[in-house]
Amino acid sequence: MMQPPKTDSTVAMKAGDTLLSVRNLNKHFPIKDGILQKVVGQVRAVDGVSFDIRRGETVGLVGESGCGKTTLSQCVAGLTDPTSGEILFNTGQGSQLGDGDRIDKLPKDRYRTFRRNVQMVFQDNFASLNPRQLVVDIIGRPLKVYREASGSDLTERVVALLEQVGLGRQHLYRYPHQFSGGQRQRISIARALALDPELIILDEPTSALDVSVQAQILNLLGDLQKERQLAYLFVTHDLGVVRHMADRMITMYLGKVVEQGPTETVFQQPAHPYTEALLAAKPDLADDPDKPFALLEGTIPDPARPPLGCRFHTRCPRVTPSCGWEIDDIVRFLEADESLFQSLQGVERRSARDADLIFKDPASAVALQEAMKSSSVPEAMRAATERLTVEGSRLRATFSEVDEVQLTERGPEHFAACKLDHLSR
Amino acid sequence: MAVTDLPTPPKRETAFGVRMRRWRDLLKTLLSNPTTFIGFLIIFLLLAMAIFAPFLAPPNVPDPYQMPRDWGATRMPPGTPGFPLGTTNQGGDVLYGVIWGSRTSLQLSVIVVSVTVVIGIAIGSIAGLVGGWIDETLMRIVDVFLSIPELIFALAVAAILGPSFTNIILSLCIVFWVKYARIMRAQIILIRQADYVQAARVIGDTKLSIFFKDMLPNASTPIAVQATLDMGNIVLVGATLSFIGLAESGIAEWGVLVSEGQAGIASGRWWASTFPGLMIFLWALAFNLVGDGLRDALDPRTEDKR
Repeated sequence: MMQPPKTDSTVAMKAGDTLLSVRNLNKHFPIKDGILQKVVGQVRAVDGVSFDIRRGETVGLVGESGCGKTTLSQCVAGLTDPTSGEILFNTGQGSQLGDGDRIDKLPKDRYRTFRRNVQMVFQDNFASLNPRQLVVDIIGRPLKVYREASGSDLTERVVALLEQVGLGRQHLYRYPHQFSGGQRQRISIARALALDPELIILDEPTSALDVSVQAQILNLLGDLQKERQLAYLFVTHDLGVVRHMADRMITMYLGKVVEQGPTETVFQQPAHPYTEALLAAKPDLADDPDKPFALLEGTIPDPARPPLGCRFHTRCPRVTPSCGWEIDDIVRFLEADESLFQSLQGVERRSARDADLIFKDPASAVALQEAMKSSSVPEAMRAATERLTVEGSRLRATFSEVDEVQLTERGPEHFAACKLDHLSR
Repeated sequence: MAVTDLPTPPKRETAFGVRMRRWRDLLKTLLSNPTTFIGFLIIFLLLAMAIFAPFLAPPNVPDPYQMPRDWGATRMPPGTPGFPLGTTNQGGDVLYGVIWGSRTSLQLSVIVVSVTVVIGIAIGSIAGLVGGWIDETLMRIVDVFLSIPELIFALAVAAILGPSFTNIILSLCIVFWVKYARIMRAQIILIRQADYVQAARVIGDTKLSIFFKDMLPNASTPIAVQATLDMGNIVLVGATLSFIGLAESGIAEWGVLVSEGQAGIASGRWWASTFPGLMIFLWALAFNLVGDGLRDALDPRTEDKR
């Protein structure tokens, strides 16, 4: 398990500024199998994530599909209980956020404070509104739950909220299906605003909308933030949106934070090759239209068996011998080679970095040995190989031990988890 | 689906008015389907018959649900003065049986459907919401119930309880809840994950309120369709049970009347069985037509366009 990054101790801030703090958060989903539903593995959707959100700021959370950003946002919203780690919410008590501020340990009245101050807007604008309820009931519901208003007072509060998001009184008594996607997302935002929260979690709020409507919603969110001192946790995979909206951004890969820092700094000087690759894959109108995108090769590895060391080393264009090469990398290489993979009979592991690969015949073992020495595997992988010996039909491979990769400081508030000190261009 | 704002503001809308319009629209869609319209018409006539039974046929004293016996006028054919649909072997007025039988059938179907829907929703919701071994256990019980044909199962239960009309109601209640439990569980599992339920949780609403505001209304459509179809099926199965003698003889119930009249069919006395049989047929047909129409009208793929 990774040590908690230094965000919470060395960059400790006054509790007055920090609204919400996530510390070493883990969310693992058990994989169950068989009639007894025995747990055979864990999907580490979120693995040792730490960050802070300050009052009035926007934090962008980016990453590919399946990197755990939605799971993380659901933990922050209190919808799922994390496996371990803590989420602290500043309810205005004490000068330092401490153990007593954990949202799972808050006393009832302070939990209510957390609950009404952290709201959420979902990606699917249709599915997030109850199709059997009228707009007045949907937006008025939070006010009813906290007994803030009733009767005609409630209706007037709902009208005020509708007007804030660019809708009006004429929309009070309509069903969600009578609206367009952008209007439905406005209704969702109005519902989130009803309790005047301090933090709104936006889970890809614009990815289901047309580009022109996206811009309207983003501008609305920007205006509301200025008016109300809102903090946003903006979950998205759209880097353009992040650059437009976010003060700070966090890049996640396979459940781990690989880089976090002020948005402009990260865009100008990405310190992790994954962020760099994401930025390179972003379409830009100014680019030469004939230039192909710099795409990442391969697919996201199975999160139930994440790669050792830096989890990105299987796809990294800047990979080094110390990025955490392991036996599974040989297996992944073999999976691409049909005939060799067919003759593989088993893997006897001494450790994750030392194992015997048993083949049907000595020829296959020798063939793999040759391949592992040739340019068909990355150069860094060859350099990390300590031992590669064949005994009959067994191939023993050992990789050198390396330190775990840590988030390290790269500049003011800028952290990255990469072995490379800086990325040369 | 975009909202087109009318140039002139519509007259003041109210939540009540909008909800009523939704029901009116549903009814309009239903009635625009000719077969559903016929179904509604038959149900309307049958209900009118049940409600106005005391005016259509003066109630028998002391128990109006008992067939009157006129031993001086047995085996009269239809058209006999005073007995427009003829009489049975025991001198029972077939018309009286047909009219008061609709009340019996209405009681039977309404009681059984309400009881089974409530049981089914409760058990299905518990299974879907709690999950784990409770879900497993409940659903295996449901599987056992579903593996036995409804009629045979109801027959066995009614036979164990002893022959009476009350026991027929009881046995149908025991048999018919399983489908609702299945439907409800499937709906709950689907809705539990829906974003609008998550949204309600983020607001901080209570579990009970989420169940009644979000889950139940959105799970109700297939339950309503099944309940309508069962209004017909239950009368059919109930009549079958009373036909084979699991109800008290001599009560004004269509199945009993068919049973009492069937011996005379071979000797040409067709009327004692045919008229009550026709009523059973009409009852089951009407509710099936409406149930089918309801299913089409409430189909989620077409509902939004309304």
